[in-house]
Amino acid sequence: MTIVSGKAEARRTLQSAGFGVFRKVWEHRADYAYVLPAIAVMLVVIAYPIYYTIELSFFNTPPGLQLRDKTFVGFNNYTAILTSQVFWQVTLNTLIWTFVSTLFSFVLGFAAALALHRDFIGRGVLRAILIIPWVISAVAASYIWKWIYHSDFGIIGAVMVELGLADRPPNFIDSVGTVLPSLIVVNIWREFPFAMIMMMAGLQTVPDQLLRAAKVDGANAWQRFWHVTFPHLRNVSTVTILLLAVANFNSFIIPWIMTGGGPSNASHIWITHIYELAFGRQRWGVASAYSVLLFLILMTLGYFYVRALSGNERKDRSA
Amino acid sequence: MARITLGGAVLRGTVSTALMASLMSAPALGAPPVDLSKWSPEYVRSIAGTQDFDTAADCAKVTPLDYKGRLTFWYQGVFEGDPDLLRQYYKDFFATFRKTYPNIQLEDQALTYNDLLDKFRTALLGNAAPMAVRLQILGGTEFASKGYLQPLKPEDVGYSTEDFWPGAMKAVTWDGVTYGIPTNNETMAFIWNADIFKRAGLDPNKPPATWDDVVKYSKQIHDKLGIAGYGLVARKNAGNTPYRFMPQLWAYGGGVFDEATANPTYKKIELDSPQSKAALQASYDMYVRDKSVPVSALTNQQADNQPLFLAGQLGMMISHPSDYNVMLDLQKKATGTDKEKAQTVIDNMRYGLIPTGPDGKRAVVFGGSNIHILKPEYVEGGKVDEPAAKALICMWTSPEWSLKMAYAGSNPGNLNGFKTKWMKERLDNIKFLDVTTSMLPYGIPFPALPQSPEIMNIIVPDMLQNALTGAMTVDQAADDAAKKVKDLMGGGL
Repeated sequence: MTIVSGKAEARRTLQSAGFGVFRKVWEHRADYAYVLPAIAVMLVVIAYPIYYTIELSFFNTPPGLQLRDKTFVGFNNYTAILTSQVFWQVTLNTLIWTFVSTLFSFVLGFAAALALHRDFIGRGVLRAILIIPWVISAVAASYIWKWIYHSDFGIIGAVMVELGLADRPPNFIDSVGTVLPSLIVVNIWREFPFAMIMMMAGLQTVPDQLLRAAKVDGANAWQRFWHVTFPHLRNVSTVTILLLAVANFNSFIIPWIMTGGGPSNASHIWITHIYELAFGRQRWGVASAYSVLLFLILMTLGYFYVRALSGNERKDRSA
Repeated sequence: MARITLGGAVLRGTVSTALMASLMSAPALGAPPVDLSKWSPEYVRSIAGTQDFDTAADCAKVTPLDYKGRLTFWYQGVFEGDPDLLRQYYKDFFATFRKTYPNIQLEDQALTYNDLLDKFRTALLGNAAPMAVRLQILGGTEFASKGYLQPLKPEDVGYSTEDFWPGAMKAVTWDGVTYGIPTNNETMAFIWNADIFKRAGLDPNKPPATWDDVVKYSKQIHDKLGIAGYGLVARKNAGNTPYRFMPQLWAYGGGVFDEATANPTYKKIELDSPQSKAALQASYDMYVRDKSVPVSALTNQQADNQPLFLAGQLGMMISHPSDYNVMLDLQKKATGTDKEKAQTVIDNMRYGLIPTGPDGKRAVVFGGSNIHILKPEYVEGGKVDEPAAKALICMWTSPEWSLKMAYAGSNPGNLNGFKTKWMKERLDNIKFLDVTTSMLPYGIPFPALPQSPEIMNIIVPDMLQNALTGAMTVDQAADDAAKKVKDLMGGGL
């Protein structure tokens, strides 16, 4: 008897849960009607490409055949990727690129935000100047930096030779050892203004009375920063770092235009490698498998990003 | 004297006729408009301006001039490395076409060499390709083999197959079927700065005879003057790289396959042969051992070498006849002392035949472009306006326009173009044209295989980069490239 009633209870719970969702949808039907066009567009331009990429990742697509002539190979593409030497080289490049770019962009941006938070003459002008790298076209910036770094006639090399610091211009982007750090510098230069703007916005939220109270209590500048300012910036910092990390994982323009991933794959990161596999070599299957792996990584980062944002909202509500 | 019976005579006659017919090449059976066996600068001059053509009248026989239709068309257009003269001819062509066929609504889109293949492939995946496309010579077989292109031969637009270079026709033929028509064919030449040669202690009027000489001269120029000797190009995904390295590879007796032979089969991979390795070693010697070429060669294209040459910072390079006009255009934009320096370089610019290998073998890439018509199912809207496409193709591949559209940088795909009055005018106006027309018989087409774009744009440049950066030894880089070609041909992932 007890058993029967237990099963019935479970069925009721499941049914209520299942119908509960539909009931909620029905209750909010007007809201859903409003967002339906957006959902439809998202299904077409986001959900379908994701589905198709996942499907394609299980097929071999030889360059001599049309895509419709693809052959099912199961997980072979994934196996091929994970056992290829290039994959590990590109992955290491991507990790270095993402970690170093994110870290230094954030630190530099934060430092610039702190410096600009204080009132001084010319603050507005300086702020406008520092934002320039972020607002100019990445394509134009890449070409400019390519010439700045030029291994024969770049301005940096010319100045170094002129000042007697080097016998010949240093090799920035034509050497496997220096190409990635050189590109990372360009990326940091372009990204740190974004971190600066985010952190400047965050600094506006730090209550002034708290800082004054800490000062009255005898806290020095570092203590005021560490114990008052920084805790207030924790959430905006998390969001900024996550956004920078996602953007860096997805970087394409700077490495592609400046070096095309070369020399000898030394500046290939995931996105440039995927592009080359797909459009240069027409290995749509392998490129899709790469994309699925990248998608999983970015979704993980996205999860933390959403969690960080939700945390902010919860704190705002409780406050 | 032995007597011959009637039956024996018939048999002998039949066998002899069959043997003669089999020995005659296909073009020999037709009537080529020019005699390729006599090809020389003198011969080219002798035929220039000997025949008039009425393009509109010829094309009207293919598509009536009052035909009403619509055509979408993509083409590899002029880019930053081309002279202004060529830009003007492209404008003139489209203006003339619209005037000749006022009822054809033409939607044309120009794309650069390095972008065209990627964009065209993407458009095909979405069945959003244009009705007609003009592709680099490297691309035709890839799309023909995949079934994207309609059969199209010169006869379909009023010309004869014999009106075009046999080598060019090979590049538009897949599995015995012709899928396109050559618009222009080009061979490059060797360019040097006589003033730099003189200052480096070299004979200013004598280009390097062999590739080994190029290595020596490059070192001498660099050691004496502190500037780059030879304009090596090794960037990946850039057409400039194979166009400059393959002549070197073939001259040493190497190749990707047997594409440098008269009847290539593309069966045996030759990239790891001792001859191919010797060619790669020559590049290694210039870049790594002697440091006599631009360090930026790994990220540079030929368009980057042009300003270096004009600035007097580069002694030698391989390029088109159009580079002389490019230098004139760049010189016009220079100011002050830069203008004078540029003029000195232009005055000292010399053209010669591309050097030979150790065994006297001379080779150059037989380049150019072809024009194709797509199958309707891959075209946006699912329809191809064939008469409109043929009208445009007839006009572009006509003796007149195939000459004019190649005025400064190339040569007409239609051999009748050499007979026009514009060819005569061109011989007088375009300096050093003789040299590049003289190189045409040495032209070797890229392998007519669907895998060629990947081999030439990725695998060969990768091989160069692996060797030149020290990521691999010369032997390892060549072996690695050969393995990649083998995997590619085997349909590997």
